[in-house]
Amino acid sequence: MINTANGMISQSSSSANAQSPGLKTYFKTPEGRYKLHYEKTYPSGLLHYAHGKTVTQATLAHLKEKPAPSTPTAPPSSFSASSGVVRSAAAKLLGTGNGSRTLGFGGGNGGSKSISGSSRIGSLGASSSSTSMTNTNFDGKGTYIIFNVGDAIFISDLNSQDKDPIKSIHFSNSNPVCHAFDQDAKDGHDLLIGLNSGDVYSVSLRQQLQDVGKKLVGAHHYNKDGSVNNSRCTSVAWVPGGEGAFVVGHADGNLYVYEKSKDGAGDSSFPVIKDQTQFSVAHPRYSKSNPIARWHICQGSINSIAFSTDGAYLATVGRDGYLRVFDYSKEQLICGGKSYYGALLCCAWSMDGKYILTGGEDDLVQVWSMEDRKVVAWGEGHNSWVSGVAFDSYWSQPNSDGTAETVMYRFGSVGQDTRLLLWDLEMDEIVVPLRRGPLGGSPTFSTGSQSAHWDNVCPVGTLQPAPSMRDVPKLSPLVAHRVHTEPLSGLIFTQESVLTVCREGHIKIWMRPGVAESQSSSSETVLSTSSKDKPLLSSKVVTSSYRQ
Amino acid sequence: MGAAGSKLEKALGDQFPEGERYFGLENFGNTCYCNSVLQALYFCVPFREQLLDYYSNNKNLGDAEENLLTCLADLFTQIRAQKKKTGVIAPKRFVQRLKKQNELFRSYMHQDAHEFLNFLLNELVDILEKEEAAKSDPESSSPSEKTANGPTNGLANGVRKEPLVTWVHKNFQGILTNETRCLRCETVTARDETFFDLSLDIEQNSSITSCLKNFSSTETLNAEDKFFCDKCCSLQEAQKRMKIKKSPHTLVIHLKRFKYIEQLGRYKKLSYRVVFPLELKLSNTAEDADIEYSLFAVVVHVGSGPNHGHYVSLVKSHNHWLFFDDENVEMIDESAVQTFFGSAQEYSSNTDHGYILFYESLGAGSNKS
Repeated sequence: MINTANGMISQSSSSANAQSPGLKTYFKTPEGRYKLHYEKTYPSGLLHYAHGKTVTQATLAHLKEKPAPSTPTAPPSSFSASSGVVRSAAAKLLGTGNGSRTLGFGGGNGGSKSISGSSRIGSLGASSSSTSMTNTNFDGKGTYIIFNVGDAIFISDLNSQDKDPIKSIHFSNSNPVCHAFDQDAKDGHDLLIGLNSGDVYSVSLRQQLQDVGKKLVGAHHYNKDGSVNNSRCTSVAWVPGGEGAFVVGHADGNLYVYEKSKDGAGDSSFPVIKDQTQFSVAHPRYSKSNPIARWHICQGSINSIAFSTDGAYLATVGRDGYLRVFDYSKEQLICGGKSYYGALLCCAWSMDGKYILTGGEDDLVQVWSMEDRKVVAWGEGHNSWVSGVAFDSYWSQPNSDGTAETVMYRFGSVGQDTRLLLWDLEMDEIVVPLRRGPLGGSPTFSTGSQSAHWDNVCPVGTLQPAPSMRDVPKLSPLVAHRVHTEPLSGLIFTQESVLTVCREGHIKIWMRPGVAESQSSSSETVLSTSSKDKPLLSSKVVTSSYRQ
Repeated sequence: MGAAGSKLEKALGDQFPEGERYFGLENFGNTCYCNSVLQALYFCVPFREQLLDYYSNNKNLGDAEENLLTCLADLFTQIRAQKKKTGVIAPKRFVQRLKKQNELFRSYMHQDAHEFLNFLLNELVDILEKEEAAKSDPESSSPSEKTANGPTNGLANGVRKEPLVTWVHKNFQGILTNETRCLRCETVTARDETFFDLSLDIEQNSSITSCLKNFSSTETLNAEDKFFCDKCCSLQEAQKRMKIKKSPHTLVIHLKRFKYIEQLGRYKKLSYRVVFPLELKLSNTAEDADIEYSLFAVVVHVGSGPNHGHYVSLVKSHNHWLFFDDENVEMIDESAVQTFFGSAQEYSSNTDHGYILFYESLGAGSNKS
């Protein structure tokens, strides 16, 4: 699957133009151009009637051969990444740098597990111990995009230029609406699929790829026919380091904990929720039950959930506009706060667990600080609801050596305004955003002049009311680019690219600066591009020295 | 229809709110523009209560002349007094009165729901002002000037002229400040204007928040469109912006979906996807606190063109969402509201678009008089 970069780019850009007039196939950032590399979508045979009924979500899955028992692996540290969407490791933040392969396998410190983020390295390490490669679709890189459209789940090979998926799975009973992949699954089942009917399946992704049919094979079925909860699944997530435990959020404000190995034959009845407005956790009376716990989180829908990378915390956002952060093992509400107004739709953790991004119906991207237990910045720039947020853990801070007084984060957001926005968040030790919005009128904040409200850290378990507009420092986007013609539903950062997903099932892959030109299957190249000496930058240096 | 009513009753079961009535309104030939707005107004509870209070307090004042206010109050009274919880009512007198009053609405053509709402609210205010004028100062009959001349309305100091504030004003009126800054002398000219609703320009794939932001964004007046500065005594370039000085208790937002297209020489319906949240705050106000609003009614235009189509309304009553389509009333899920946002593509089978949004203030200290 080695393609000449030129061929791929011209093809993708021409098709992009044909499909979406007026959309550019690149956007500029301070570090260079992001280029539309290719697109993924579903076969055109699927009619439009399916549209609008479901919103497409995408999950990245990396299939690698399990290392043989003798292969040195990182100890089961608290840093085992999990779900496909958030499983990128912040090597940068841990000081090891991206792509530290030797460290990753030999080191054995917590940070070494950054392997889970850098997919190429993983596959390289795996290929040495690979025994069976029966699946013809398996191209040796093994990164797949799983996405739902209408009544189907589609699986595309991330690294092939084919627009169409390599596999489709149709559901006859209800529409699949959410999914998650477990990078560290110990046995077969690594993919979760949640349905509109409330049903949940766990399957082995590899097994699906090996099967030629259009049905789910070898699935475990949970909450069958909505027997435990018949409201829509809104999000599913594997518990990081949870030995096959996973959680399912529902549209009625309940979240259930399941164990994939457990046969759910027992009685799974839960006591009646006494107070709909209060958080409560209940365990079933029978030990054989699967689900093993029910968390009543809020009134109205849970819209999105996310585990911190170490699995210690679970964040939820919902219809009531609240972000809630729970200590997962203690089953306790730690902190949380309300949006400016309206529902919150999405959330994501920073790799170091210090910040949570949320986006919602107030058009704002909110930065929540775990240390301060409050909102520390609002990103203003979307012209409609914010439907996807993510930190870019692969982005490396310019001039990061030496002046270590500030930590910078790069994050992205997508919205129903069809645009992708990139943001820089610069935090000094005392957590004050340095990049403030140019929009006049809002007072600037320094560490000294903040209000009393601002300095108080609230006690454990209390939820903050909505801040007022002038109390929160504003961020402005670095880049705002219209990437699709349809409202967007999500974004994913990978080492080489940014993926944007629209509600209607189209996915675009935007190559990072310097990556598209030198795209190849060699992981060596990927390693070099991910290091600070990007080809683009070095070529610039060459040019200037040539002039001299 | 009776079956539909019982279906709604069944759906609500013992959750049917006490004292509440859900009645469809009969269509007398293209009167859906009227029916959809009437339902939204009926479920604007403070408005309904104040109308009925006013009517019961003033009914016996002798003067039994029929007008739009009495017709509306009669209709609301009639709905509320129904023995059945659901059913259909014919707003016959109201529609007849409306047609008598305004020839615009006399034809059987498709009418604009926003124009009707505007006409109705202004008509109610006129009637109230006339009655008030007749009460306090029987000689003077000019309703608009009277407060400027008269020493009425308890303004003992009489420093400012205060126009009569009726319960219609208390419900719907807000104040906009139109600030113009002359770019030569930097003088800011502020002009206040009152509104019953905000008419917003819309863009494809945007939100109400964004449309509101554009509404109050700064606009430069130059070239053909210069500003006459009183200080400079000449036409100057200037910057203009609209600010909400006083937010209304009930915020009515009209989306300008019917746009005159010059090349076509006619109006065209914009089917743009404009998302509206169930809660909203106005942040660009001159007031200190950000006032929070909650969506309680949506008038929906159904159809692809401006000159034909249909109007229905979505109404939130006692935490349930109801769908009113002339005679029919159904319960819908809150999440169904988002099917009325519009379409991201120009040609779409979905032609049901939110047209007038009704938000009620959740803020404490709002008038409950």
